Amino acid sequence: MRVLVLSGYGINCEDETMHSFEVVGFKGNIVHINDLINNPKQLDNYQVFAIPGGFSYGDDTGSGNAMAKKIMIKLYDQLIEFISKDKLMIGICNGCQILINLGLVPGIYTNDPEVAMIENKSGNYECRWIDVKVADNKSPWLKNITTLNLPIAHQEGQFMIPLNVLKSVKNKKLIGLQYINKKKKLAKGKFPFNPNGSQDDIAALTNKKGNVLAMMPHPERAFYNYHVPNWQNDSSKKFGDGYEIFINAKKYFL
Amino acid sequence: MTNTIQILSIEKTGKESSLQKEHNNKSIKIIDGYFFSTNLDDRKFNKISKLISNEVSQVILTRKNVNTVLSKYSNFNWVVEIKYLPGVTDNIATTVKEIINNNLKNSFKSFELGSTKIILIKGRKEDISKISKNEANPLIQTIKIYPFKKYLNNFKRNQFKIEKVKLPKKKYTKKEINLDISDHNLSLIGKLGIEENDKSRRGTLGLDLESLKAIRNYFSIIKRKPTDIEIETLAQTWSEHCKHKIFSAKIDDIQEGIFKRYIKGATEKIIQLRKDNFCVSLFTDNAGGIEFNKDWIICHKVETHNTPSALDPFGGAITGIVGVNRDCLGFGKGAKPIANTYAYYLADPNKNYQLYRQKNNKDPMLPASFIAKGIISGVRVGGNCSGIPTPQGNVYFDDRFAGKPLVFCGTVGIIPKKIKGKLSHKKKANPGDIILMVGGRVGKDGIHGATFSSEELDPNSPVTAVQIGDPITQKKMSDVIIRELRDENLYSSITDNGAGGLSSSIGEMAKESGGFIVNLEKVPLKYKGLYPWEIWISESQERMTLAVPPDNVNKVIKKFNTRGVEATIIGKFIKKEKAIVKYNKTQILNLDMEFLHEGYPKLNLKTSFPRINKEKKKIIKKSSLTYKLHKLLSSPNIVSKEFIATQYDHEVQATSIVKPLQGEGRVFGNATAIKPLFNDEKSIALSQAAYPQFAETNPYDMAGCSIDTAFKNLIVSGANSKKIAILDNFCWCSSDETDRLYQLKEAARGCYDYAVAYQTPFISGKDSMYNDFKGFDKDSKSIKISIPPTLLISSIGVVDKISHLTKITPDKDDKIFLLGKTNNELKHSVYDKIIGVRKTNLPNVDNKTALKTYKNFEKANKLKIINSAIGVDLGGVGIAISKMAIASKKGLFIDLKSKNKNSVDQFLFSETQSRILVSIKKSKLQKFKKIFKDSNYVCIGKCTGSDLIEFKNGNKIIKSKIEDLSKSYKQNIKGL
Repeated sequence: MRVLVLSGYGINCEDETMHSFEVVGFKGNIVHINDLINNPKQLDNYQVFAIPGGFSYGDDTGSGNAMAKKIMIKLYDQLIEFISKDKLMIGICNGCQILINLGLVPGIYTNDPEVAMIENKSGNYECRWIDVKVADNKSPWLKNITTLNLPIAHQEGQFMIPLNVLKSVKNKKLIGLQYINKKKKLAKGKFPFNPNGSQDDIAALTNKKGNVLAMMPHPERAFYNYHVPNWQNDSSKKFGDGYEIFINAKKYFL
Repeated sequence: MTNTIQILSIEKTGKESSLQKEHNNKSIKIIDGYFFSTNLDDRKFNKISKLISNEVSQVILTRKNVNTVLSKYSNFNWVVEIKYLPGVTDNIATTVKEIINNNLKNSFKSFELGSTKIILIKGRKEDISKISKNEANPLIQTIKIYPFKKYLNNFKRNQFKIEKVKLPKKKYTKKEINLDISDHNLSLIGKLGIEENDKSRRGTLGLDLESLKAIRNYFSIIKRKPTDIEIETLAQTWSEHCKHKIFSAKIDDIQEGIFKRYIKGATEKIIQLRKDNFCVSLFTDNAGGIEFNKDWIICHKVETHNTPSALDPFGGAITGIVGVNRDCLGFGKGAKPIANTYAYYLADPNKNYQLYRQKNNKDPMLPASFIAKGIISGVRVGGNCSGIPTPQGNVYFDDRFAGKPLVFCGTVGIIPKKIKGKLSHKKKANPGDIILMVGGRVGKDGIHGATFSSEELDPNSPVTAVQIGDPITQKKMSDVIIRELRDENLYSSITDNGAGGLSSSIGEMAKESGGFIVNLEKVPLKYKGLYPWEIWISESQERMTLAVPPDNVNKVIKKFNTRGVEATIIGKFIKKEKAIVKYNKTQILNLDMEFLHEGYPKLNLKTSFPRINKEKKKIIKKSSLTYKLHKLLSSPNIVSKEFIATQYDHEVQATSIVKPLQGEGRVFGNATAIKPLFNDEKSIALSQAAYPQFAETNPYDMAGCSIDTAFKNLIVSGANSKKIAILDNFCWCSSDETDRLYQLKEAARGCYDYAVAYQTPFISGKDSMYNDFKGFDKDSKSIKISIPPTLLISSIGVVDKISHLTKITPDKDDKIFLLGKTNNELKHSVYDKIIGVRKTNLPNVDNKTALKTYKNFEKANKLKIINSAIGVDLGGVGIAISKMAIASKKGLFIDLKSKNKNSVDQFLFSETQSRILVSIKKSKLQKFKKIFKDSNYVCIGKCTGSDLIEFKNGNKIIKSKIEDLSKSYKQNIKGL
């Protein structure tokens, strides 16, 4: 099992993302986007493609846009091919914004972007821990998970989905994660449970096939129990909730 | 044909809602505009628009649709157009240019573009000017306000304009400066700068008469006149910022100066006492390094960026943080930045100070709220975009920072001890090594930055002294250095281009080889027309200088280029101890290295005991304990800084292990910790402390309190007391006055005594000596505002095991103990400021008793006897109790009988140092008492787990709801 973790131009979570994959049993490489563009054939050697979090191009012209445009002209066909195979892809935070801007998620009708990531309703960058539940979704990334406690850290984490697209997203069950409150009920847009005002409390979407997951929360930052706030109250566990996402990728290929 | 692309968000954006809220006006809309230097035909317009916008969430405005689209939002009548001044870093424009170049190859020969913010408003003109004042800084931006009709007209007639940098195209001729002139004219050169042919002056050099005479003397010996670039270079190298002349000067009877005696002296003494390998690299490098574990070194550096932040808060602060990141990249062979720290000392953002740099209300200081907000966002963007967590910081408010805010930015880095078998902290540029400049290009930004930060802020403070950081360019450069080059051992030395630009970085590095030859025409520029002296001293950001053996140069350049980073050969290091600079083959600088670095006249300073002004104070009498608790909790210096903590990504790199917000009730902690390596459970604890409020009463005790607090916070968090190092950042005022120098000397003496007592070496430090504002008030009366002398002590310590890390939340039935004795020390406390008190003392640290408490605490914590702990600081025990309860959401019962001889207020609000509040589980009480038998402690109550804090005073019980206290503690700071 091999994973390619993308890096370069302001992506900055490649090390911890790679580490999480390695601990659950993957081998792989952190590959600079320019090296991948120069040799896209190397994608054949990997079963998982991960775009980690970061600030590609400083979020200028909209988070994920500039990197998506770079990928669009140089790597788009190769990524489409990758997805069509029995492989997995994940975009976390900035990676999620890039996948959305590429239109790979949700990818319902066309390959143009159908969803936008816009600024948090508060107007502020938000770095905080939130709770999400897994929606009715068949993505292998989310299998057998009910809820997760994970951190988010973004300026533009609000999913904006036109009504017609939203309808299809729901019909086709493409919602991955939704923000919930302390009572485990949907946050209903309420801050800080829904930290960005995202429509229908959406925190993650998948493509139709389910093998591509675009999620705003950071599982790699909730990988170990000591990542979880106030872990001192319960230090018996080894892993945090983020572990579940990575172990699911491993299980998929077993 | 059009020359603009303007993009509108369909839904209300976050920025729009905050602007609407702030100005209580729902008719505000913001447009992202891009102005091009050439016209775009329809094909290009469509293609580019698509590339830089989002079809789902945005609309592209065109001549045809602009009116109809906008009329859906409001009946706008005014437009505020905000653009960067020519030459100011425009990061968005850079990205857009790159997107266009990637996607539309060869479509343009060459073009310029600028990003603009266009704000549409419906409202009265006076409100509009207020909004524009809050949204833009005239120092770096142009602001145009015009009627909405004109905006529509501009669209029709294609009249959006971009201004390019226009510099005179005069050919450079070598300029020699005559120094055989009167003392008066000589000092004019120092103060106002070198005179141009048209009699204008280049801007301050910050050189005093004595220094200029030393320069004159040197050139009379070598029998020629100095060139302009030689004088500029000496001004940079000899600046207070670079040479720390005051710290190295003879002062009273201290021949060797206070740095050598007290700061370095303390560290040398400690190393002599300790006999271990803890200290790795001190004072000589860009940051100070200590041992983390057997394979890794960690380094820490804290810088200030005060003057630039007063002029352009956002630019000053972002440059401050990305600048200190480079200090880590430039530590040894290059350390990876793993944490940022911040500390802001600000004026009350809710006050209107009305300060002007010139008479008749001209050249105003920026409003305090603008400064505060700009600084907070500058560090946010710098830290977040760089992928470096920013867990640790604090903010302190005092009116005396109205003339100059203090902005401390720090970075922690990590580097393997050995790289390919060689010690990583050792570096040496060898004769023959190529000088490689990597990263950003050079423009006029930051010219005279180093020299002017050594001067007071007055009308002549130069505009070009301001830079804006570009974190993404730096991130790309940093990735190549840390991830791809360093461990290959391809370069022999590396340093940051900070203050003084190339002149400083190359000048410093050349000490390792002997000297250097630089060809300035090779330096890549942002725009044409810079003079060689400007290229040489420019402080354009995001650059590092590398010394590369000739055989490796091509490999190194190629690596940078494939990652989209420029790398340019600009000269070489030589053995001969000469500093030589050429421009198109003409030699324009030739100095002896010895004179360049040591030729400045050494100061001889005297101090005098300052007069202490007695202040009258108001005292609030007869107020209830509950009232006082709420009042203190909601005061700006105690109130939670959660709104900053949640803006600063402290989780990136997945290292955050003790977070800035602690407990379920989210209390803003005074120490944080990161666990930097996945395969080692060791962590790094960070804290910081300063007591500017104590400085003028007793600078020696002020230093003692700062060191004690910074040390104590790490002990409380679980750090190993033998593995704590500290950093000193002195921000002083009027350092040409003998009483201020007395305070400085006393503070430095305090540093020595307490550092030696705690055996915490100083590993790095910095000073900023003139934090004064000279100007006018609203009635044109001349006014000088000096900051209170501020010594920030930053502490960094190693926590050996995860299980040593503590929490601040007690559990039900825990007993609450106060470790350390409480004295009547309310002077200049938060209580004193808000409630007022007479007949009291300033806190004074008794380090022997303190150390006993700390040693016992450390021992008990390792044995898991401490269930929770919090260091007692601002606001005293009363506030520490409240924080414990707010964090845990569990009630406490406090018996005030334990106050002993103190009054209730003295017991609860005294800021006596070296105290820790702990909670102990019942089952551990015996062991606890045994360990603490030789140090002072008192049981003050227990954790009830209810929703109340109860104080029992005799027969009376005073109750406060935790939820109410929490509301006070989490109040918004007015004006922010």
